[in-house]
Amino acid sequence: MKSPASASWKAPLKFRMPAAENLVPIRLDIEVDGQRYKDAFTWNPYDPDSEVVMFAKRTVKDLKLAPGFLPQIVQFIQSQLATFRSYAGQDMYVGDKIVPIKLDLRVDHTVIRDQFLWDLNNFDSDPEEFARTLCKDVGIEDPEVGPAIALAIREQLYEIAIQNVTSARENRINKKGRRAAEHFPISKPSGAALDLMKLFRSSVVRKRKEWDYYKPVLDLLSNEDVDALEAKEERSG
Amino acid sequence: MAEKSPVKEVAFSESIPISNSNQLKQSPQFSAKLTTPTPPISDIPSTPTSRLPPVDADVIHVPSYSRWFSWDKIDSCESRFLPEFFDGRSSKGPSLYKYYRNSIIKLFRENPSRKITFTEARRNLVGDVGSIRRVFDFLDHWGLINYSASSALSKPSKNTASNNKSSDSPSLESPSTAAPTPKQSSTSRRFCGECKSLCTIACFVCDKYDSTLCARCYVRGNFRVGLSNADFRRVEISDEAKADWSEKETLLLLEAIMHYGDDWKKVAQHVGGRTEKECVAHFVKLPFGEEYLGHPLSDDAESGFDPNKSMRLTPLADASNPIMAQSAFLSALAGVEIAEAAAQAAVNILSKIDDTTASRGGNGSLERNAKQESEISSNGDANQNALERAYADAKSQLDKEEQDIERAITEITEVQMKEIQDKILRFEEMDLLMEKERQQLESMKHLLFIDQLNLSFRKNSN
Repeated sequence: MKSPASASWKAPLKFRMPAAENLVPIRLDIEVDGQRYKDAFTWNPYDPDSEVVMFAKRTVKDLKLAPGFLPQIVQFIQSQLATFRSYAGQDMYVGDKIVPIKLDLRVDHTVIRDQFLWDLNNFDSDPEEFARTLCKDVGIEDPEVGPAIALAIREQLYEIAIQNVTSARENRINKKGRRAAEHFPISKPSGAALDLMKLFRSSVVRKRKEWDYYKPVLDLLSNEDVDALEAKEERSG
Repeated sequence: MAEKSPVKEVAFSESIPISNSNQLKQSPQFSAKLTTPTPPISDIPSTPTSRLPPVDADVIHVPSYSRWFSWDKIDSCESRFLPEFFDGRSSKGPSLYKYYRNSIIKLFRENPSRKITFTEARRNLVGDVGSIRRVFDFLDHWGLINYSASSALSKPSKNTASNNKSSDSPSLESPSTAAPTPKQSSTSRRFCGECKSLCTIACFVCDKYDSTLCARCYVRGNFRVGLSNADFRRVEISDEAKADWSEKETLLLLEAIMHYGDDWKKVAQHVGGRTEKECVAHFVKLPFGEEYLGHPLSDDAESGFDPNKSMRLTPLADASNPIMAQSAFLSALAGVEIAEAAAQAAVNILSKIDDTTASRGGNGSLERNAKQESEISSNGDANQNALERAYADAKSQLDKEEQDIERAITEITEVQMKEIQDKILRFEEMDLLMEKERQQLESMKHLLFIDQLNLSFRKNSN
């Protein structure tokens, strides 16, 4: 009765991060009493909730933040976790999607720009491993870049996964019937998702003109540049 | 970053110079003698006076219970305390653990006089903060990071002051016994592994990873990743705390029993500090010690029906098993020595029949299996069983013989019948042959006759 119109329709899976480990990217940006705390890290949603409090306490202690940060941190982390968990029970449609992941980060003195393709169906993929290898290969000395890269990848994957979930929800609400369901995973604009066919139509080898887009670019900034950029960010953000 | 600083080991009162060559790959080798870490309590007064040599920037101190550490290898205690990396379920593998561990330690050793915070560590490492925290805590506890001379002094006092014997954080005492196995089997106080509070009524023990949680932590789900509710089993504390019977108490108990026999009230009084129930329970659980009861009992045997003995036997006689009651009665009548001898003989034969190991062991296990305190009844039981078994054996052997005989007879008859049949066949063949010969002879006769005729014709014609 349900004949898939194209090969890329697949049975829905339970929502999860399309990576080997189901970790949640968490971003914090809290301001209390003039002190600003910005942080980003990955969290394991299977850790018991007491971990959140412990982590918050340690962070406050280690960074010597005001004690008013503690409840805020806990609340932010928990709310992001709750959002993640609310998606957890739902279905996710993942076609044969290969998505380009873009990196454009500045961590202290290091600026890294990169673009690469990521297979959403590969549940063995490991953004952390990728980040580690990238740092090692490109020769990044600043150890804080690795986590930032891994986090950026995870955030983008998270976004895409959420979009797939919302598309699934809309499917069910949408009364257009089966055909719509089959078309959605393909035609729904989830950003830059490319169809496998289109991508590899000519050959698997990348065209020369695209080489420049897909290679990592590393910049090391001097102190003045860093200060200038930070000032600009604060003004704009 | 090549590690050029030598690593020293600290045993609370002495630091031992360790040569660590430029390669990171070698595990610390110690050339000097090693002192066994003395218990921290006695050390506290002495360490302030015997000052450790001044810490220079190149020397790293590592407590002696962490000397298993090496950059390359993963020790068994690491896999025990951080099972999430080693159980193969998640994609986190031992190499990931090594990466975390080595990076954190390197980070610390860049500036060993300063303690690194967890936040620094996790900011520099790629991975989820929960796992990094666990590795960090583990290293912190084992003194591989944030360990300096001053902290060595404060740690023992902190630990002994809080009397912390939680099972998954190694207290500084227990590593000195070469492995931080939880010493809870011997102690009767249990501390929760997570919230470090004293467990009172009940606690939950996970055998897989040897951790203990108080009821509160268990309910809150405050256990480490990788465990679920089902892995824990409930252990009642209220029984355990009073369960340790000292030797003295056991002696008193036995004395009391000998004097008062069945009067548990008096026994409990005599023992003092234990309720009647506990006395009875403990007595029943006592090992089957002939060494306890030995002589007084054999002396009583001569006097026949001793009131003590009869008291001791009454629990048995009331047993629901009639055979046991009977055998107890019989063996009481017969007397200890005779019953013992009979039982011994029966068991010996038993062992010969069964080819089981160690008749004495069998005797011992028979004794132990019996839940009563007197050896008499158990031996009587063995006696009974031996007779029954012998009878059953004989019968089965008889049956076997009969069957054998029948089989033999049928075989013989078959064979003879076969013989006869063969003979018949043979004769038939001979018959055939004879027939053929006869026919041949007949034909030859004919031929001869024809020849004769021919000859006579010729003769006549000529």
